[in-house]
Order: sequence, then C-alpha cells, then structure tokens
Amino acid sequence: MSRYLIKRLLLIIPTFLGISLITYSMVRLAPGDYTSLRATGGGELKTTAAAKQAMEEERKLYGLDRPIMFGYAEWLGKMLTLDFGISRKDGRPVSARIAESLPITLALNVISMVLVYIISIPAGILSALWKDSLYDRASSVVLFILYSLPSFWVGLLLLLLLSGGEFLNIFPLGGIVSDVPGPVPWWRLAGDVIWHLVLPVVTLTYGGFAFLARYMRANLLEVISQQYITTARAKGLGVRRVLFIHAFRNSLVPLVTLMASILPGLLGGSVIIESIFSVPGMGLLAYEAILSRDIPVIMAIASISAVLTLVGILVADVMYSVVDPRIRLEAKV
Amino acid sequence: MSALRGYWLNVWIQFKKNRLALGGLAVVGVLFFVAVFAPLIANDRPYVYVSESRAYFPIFFNYPELGDIDLRSEKIKGFKLFPPIAYSYSEYDLDSIVLPPSGAHWLGTDEQGRDLAARMIHGTRVSIMVGFIAVFIYVSIGIAVGAMAGYYGGMVDMIVSRIIEIVICFPTFFLILTMLALVGPSLVNVMVVIGITGWTGIARIVRGEFLKLREMEYVQASRSLGVRDAVIIFRHMLPNSLAPVLVSATFGIASTILIESSLSFLGFGVQPPTPSWGDILSQSRDFMDFAWWLTLIPGFFIFITITAYNLVGEGFQDAINPRAFRSKR
Repeated sequence: MSRYLIKRLLLIIPTFLGISLITYSMVRLAPGDYTSLRATGGGELKTTAAAKQAMEEERKLYGLDRPIMFGYAEWLGKMLTLDFGISRKDGRPVSARIAESLPITLALNVISMVLVYIISIPAGILSALWKDSLYDRASSVVLFILYSLPSFWVGLLLLLLLSGGEFLNIFPLGGIVSDVPGPVPWWRLAGDVIWHLVLPVVTLTYGGFAFLARYMRANLLEVISQQYITTARAKGLGVRRVLFIHAFRNSLVPLVTLMASILPGLLGGSVIIESIFSVPGMGLLAYEAILSRDIPVIMAIASISAVLTLVGILVADVMYSVVDPRIRLEAKV
Repeated sequence: MSALRGYWLNVWIQFKKNRLALGGLAVVGVLFFVAVFAPLIANDRPYVYVSESRAYFPIFFNYPELGDIDLRSEKIKGFKLFPPIAYSYSEYDLDSIVLPPSGAHWLGTDEQGRDLAARMIHGTRVSIMVGFIAVFIYVSIGIAVGAMAGYYGGMVDMIVSRIIEIVICFPTFFLILTMLALVGPSLVNVMVVIGITGWTGIARIVRGEFLKLREMEYVQASRSLGVRDAVIIFRHMLPNSLAPVLVSATFGIASTILIESSLSFLGFGVQPPTPSWGDILSQSRDFMDFAWWLTLIPGFFIFITITAYNLVGEGFQDAINPRAFRSKR
C-alpha cells in the first residue's frame, strides 16, 4: 500500500508542474502586453503614479521582462508561498479575497456533493431492484430530463417562480445572508444562511444527482449480470441478501472515482450558479475578475482550482486502491 | 470494406428499434432544417411581391428600386407572400417592447421590441455551428493524440497520458472563460477554445481502442508486410475504433451546445447582434419578474436540443453495444 501511495504522490509532481506551466503561459501568450489592457473601468487610474507602480509590480510578479523559464520559476515560487499579487479592482491582496470566498464555494460544493450521493445511491438501487417497474420507468424519464436541463435555466426559473415576481415569494433573491442591522442570535443567523443557500444548492445538485443515479442503476445491473451473483442465487440466497451483500458493495467501486470527475465540473458550475444567485464565492469572484480583466485574481483562481482538482483526483485514486486491491497490486508489478 | 458497411447497417437496424432515439434524431433533423433555412423562415421581406407592373422576389434578391420600404405595410397593394414569421432577427420596434406571445408575435418580443421567434430561429444557427465545428475540432485532435499513444505505446503513451491528466485537472469551463477573456469573445474563438480544451475524452477512448487493436492479427500482418504506420492507423485501425468515438462525439455536441449557451449567458459567447439562445436568456434577467416568456422559451429550446442529442447518443450507444441494449430492455 505505502509503495503505491508513494508512487502516486510522486506522479503528482509532473502533473502539477504541467498545470502551473499552462497557467503561466496563458499570461505570457496573451495578445499584446496584457498589463496595458488595464481594467476598462480604470481609465483615469492609468495615469496616476500609484497605478503605474501597481502595473510595475504586476510585471514583476509574472516576470514579464525575463526569459520565460526564469519568469516561470520565480512565479511558481511566489505561488507556493501564496503570494498572488494585488487585485486590480480594489488593491487588496488576492490571497485575502480568495480566503474570503473559497470557504463559501467549498461549503456549497461539499453540501451539494453529499446530497448527490445521499439521494442518488438509494434512488439508483431501487431502480435496479425494481427494474422495469413503474417506479423504474418514471424515475428513468425524470432523471433523463434532469440530466439535460441547463443549470442556468433552472436557476432562473427557480428565482422566477419562488423569489418574488408574479408568483411565489418564498426564497431570497440572492446573497448568502439577509441585511439585518444589529446582532442576531447565531441560530437565527444559521437559519438565515441555510434559507439563502437552498436555491443555489438545489441548482448545483440536481444535475450531479441525475448523472449519478443513472450511473448507479446501470452499474448495479451490470454487477447483477456477473456470474458470482448467479452462483449466490443458485446456492439459495435471497434476492435482497444477494443484492445488498454481494452486488451493492461491488457496484460502489466506480462511484469513488466518479467523485474526481465531478469535482472540476462543480467548480466550473459555481461560476454560473454564484453569478445567478449573487453568492459571494470563488465562482462570482472569478466571473467579476474575468469581466474586469483582473488578471492576478484570474491566475490565482485558475491555479488554486487546478490544485484542488488534482487533490480530488489523488484522493479518489487512493480510495479506489483501498476498495479495489487489484489496482495497487497491478501498480506493483 | 463490405464487412464494415454491414456493421454500420446493423447499428442502424438496432438504432431504429429505439423509438426515443428516433424521436431525438427527428428533432435534430428539424433543428438542422431550421438552421439552414432560417432566413427563409423568419424574414421581414416577402418571398414574392407582385406589384401592378412586375413580380419581385425580395427575400432572394435585392431590388434598388424598392428601396427601404416596408412591404408589410397595408398601404402597399399587390400580392405578397411572407415567411411564416415576418420579422428579421435584428429589427427592433420600440412601440412593442416586452410584449407577451400573441398573434402578431408568436413568442412575444424582447426589451428592444425584437420578435423572439425570429431570434430563436436564427439562434439555431449558432448552436448547431458551435456544436458541430467545436466537436469536429476536438474529435480530430483526440483521434490524432489517442491514436499516437495507443499505436506506439511505451514512452509516447506515457507522455501523452500525462498530458491528458494535466488537461483534465483544469476545470474546463473556467479554462474556457479565462482563455476567452484573454483572446476576446467571438463565435470563432468560442469554437476554437472549446475545440482545444475538449479533446481528452476522445483521446482516451481512441488510445484504449488502439491498445486493444494493435495486438490483432490483421494489424500485425500489415506491419510485417511493411505497410506505412499512417496507413495502418487511418485506413485499418481507425474505422474499427470509430463507433465509440462517434457515440462520445454525439454526447459531446450536446454538452458543447450547453457550454456555448452558458458562455453566451455569461456574456462571453457570441456577441450581439448575432442572436444566441444563451444571450437571449441572459437578457431576460432584467425583466424576469413579469416577462416569463423571455426566460421560459430560450431555456426550453436549449433543453429540447440537448435532450435530443443525448437521446440520439444513448440510442447509438445501445446500438453499438447490443449486450447493454439487452440488459436495458
């Protein structure tokens, strides 16, 4: 096991270097000298001495006046010490802005991920258990529809139907907390935040849920068709026992790796969902940074989310090797 | 070759058994028709206009003598045959802004009084173009890269696999947004950026197929006969590994259309005045509290389109993999 772990950890290094090199070359290859593409809103800022100095600092951060390899090495060093430079928008350190928004996005995604697994595993099992029943057919249709629904449309429709407008007014329009003056007891605050998070979480969850439940069903049916299941049935075990003891555990294996493939999608999806519901997380930060060409912020988010994804894939791989010994045995050979 | 033709015929026979997939294919066909003939379906000029002296075909030709006159006006007498939707996609009318669907405007109008139906019909062109061209770009890259890795194996395979792993780690949607922010949003850039970020799935499939195929006797035989690598790869191995690639490409079109509309929704896609479904949906956000048609209709079109491609993809998948097909029934 430890040998597999070490090998897997070492493999991360070239991947990380590759990711950071691509990220870095995006700044280098941007058409023109990108520091001259100063935020469109800050036209008058351009002439001030302070802005000139900020631009100079940015050129230094990315080593733009140096050969690419040196610039890259230096930039990488700064990334590793979490020095992402200064945001062009408000002049605050990028790391501070990210420290504010990252927890919100992580919380949203973790909640949604947990919900996805909690709902879709039983839903998929029931479908496979009652294959071709009315439930199975109905849920197949519903899941297929959910799977094809564009999340930004669902988000807008939820707002349209449930947050004011001509219809119901149950949920707040956006943000993560109400604007109430004065101190609020923590349980009220918590309730308020949860209330604000309902619609974003629903929008973030339904797609992954539809995908995973369909996958779970197909996967379980695949396992059931294996010979050892037939053997278990032939020696007289009941359907339920075979399903839950023999089939279920084996069908869980691919679900572990799926987590890794859902992860990058969730971060991308946050951009859309957070901008619809005005949730002040990484997605909204990224969206606003891209709109105002706040390159230090864009670069920091690109690096961080790539590293997070890398970690997610690593965790999934290690878990995979825990549940399926064949993987690490193969790696040993 | 005839064996191969027999294979595809079989796939089609299997595919035809799946009614939902056939329905999806029909929707795709209709969308194609609408995209190709959009200017003939929604246009402010008539197909035919017969005045006292002669016949005009304003939709097909320009007539300087007709000038800018609006032939829809009641004052102009003569025989006129208009397209089903007698509005162009860019024509604004400030007297009829944000109108709900009615006899005059089947799907209502937007904030500049433009006919929503005309804009939806012309928007079909963008989604189909981006869907097919971007997927074509990344399928080509994926086949080239995957075939190389699978055919040569060893060191080449190691390097390619590592590159694939690196590209997968990037949150694709965010990468696309960042690149578009740097190169500037436009129809061509959207297609190229989606094309160069989306190839990893195809490359993995092709690599896997080629790793299997290169041990086959016919490939070994071709090699020992001294056939060039390129011929073995493209003429002998590729046709035998194409089916899963095409299935994946069909699903790819669905997700590319989704990405394009998300990009346009965020304002990084196709730029106005070219109508795009995502952009129309995004415009609706300012009038969301009362103009339900502006939210409902574009989203519904996107949904139906994605569903149709997904249904075709599923039918296709079941058709090339009869074992899975049987277990599904």
